[in-house]
Amino acid sequence: MKFGILVQEGPYNHQASDSAYNFIQAALEKGHEITGVFFYNDGVINTTKLMDIPADDRHISKRWSDLGAKGIQLIVCVAAAKRRGINPDVLIENARIDGLGQLSELCIESDRLITFGD
Amino acid sequence: MATLEVNGKQHELDEDGFLANMDEWNEDVALALAKTESVEMTEAHWEVVNFLREYYAEYKIAPMIRILTKAIGKKLGKEKGNTKYLYELYPAGPAKQACKIAGLPKPTGCV
Amino acid sequence: MFVNRKAPHGSIYAYEGLEVILIFGAYDQEISAAFLDDAVLSLKKGQDTSEIGTKEFSATFRVLEAYGVENRYVERESLEQRGLTEEDLVMDVEVVDGATLRKYMGEQDVLLPF
Repeated sequence: MKFGILVQEGPYNHQASDSAYNFIQAALEKGHEITGVFFYNDGVINTTKLMDIPADDRHISKRWSDLGAKGIQLIVCVAAAKRRGINPDVLIENARIDGLGQLSELCIESDRLITFGD
Repeated sequence: MATLEVNGKQHELDEDGFLANMDEWNEDVALALAKTESVEMTEAHWEVVNFLREYYAEYKIAPMIRILTKAIGKKLGKEKGNTKYLYELYPAGPAKQACKIAGLPKPTGCV
Repeated sequence: MFVNRKAPHGSIYAYEGLEVILIFGAYDQEISAAFLDDAVLSLKKGQDTSEIGTKEFSATFRVLEAYGVENRYVERESLEQRGLTEEDLVMDVEVVDGATLRKYMGEQDVLLPF
């Protein structure tokens, strides 16, 4: 099955980004396809490379970037990003800032859109 | 931060040259903003600017271009309700250029 | 269908949810919007946020029709629980009971919660 993913909450503050990441890992293991991950609301904060995390904890933005390196598109909403100080200078590798129209595309391309939010 | 001087008064602009404080707008400020965009204001230009200001006053947003053309066609006549007409007036994009001259906040850039 | 459940002003969900609806409308998608729980407060007339300094956006909901959001549902129970009626709202909506709304939700291809 083709899954599109929407992440609406910030990292560490909320379980949404962990759940989304774990869901994606499980789905990939089972042979499903991930059409893309769209970051909206505080979810955009998942994609800053300025995160500095102690070694005994998961590094959420690095984890997303590694997923992007595997070819899964990571899309960050431009309007939500601007509001929260996320711009291309601080964006993790393998992610891109784009419009909400991309979320619309994701909805169309995917069999299911799974939302991780509050 | 950049400023725009109009009639001896300084008006703050944001990094994209939009008026930082919407309340400071008046027709002279609009003319000065038009100059920064190299737009010569004619009656047809004002028609669009005034339309945008009225739309914003009522709905608190600037309409997206497709909605704008539809609404303008309805209000100002069919021959004006198309993107070609609006781009002739505002070559760099009616949404951005006309909004700037109208003193509205800059579009968030999602489309 | 956009499923709006949260109150305006206390958090950004209602406002950013509205932004998504407008963009999807501009893309000519077949969309509908539902308002339930505290989200019905987003549609209440006579809001004034000048003293808390946040953006007042209830007027913007009135463009939804022009943006092609023809189906705008409000859950009857949510209105009643908050002492509101259809006349208190800024735009024309279809008031439906919870069971009907759940049925509509079941018929959607995509649900986007905000």
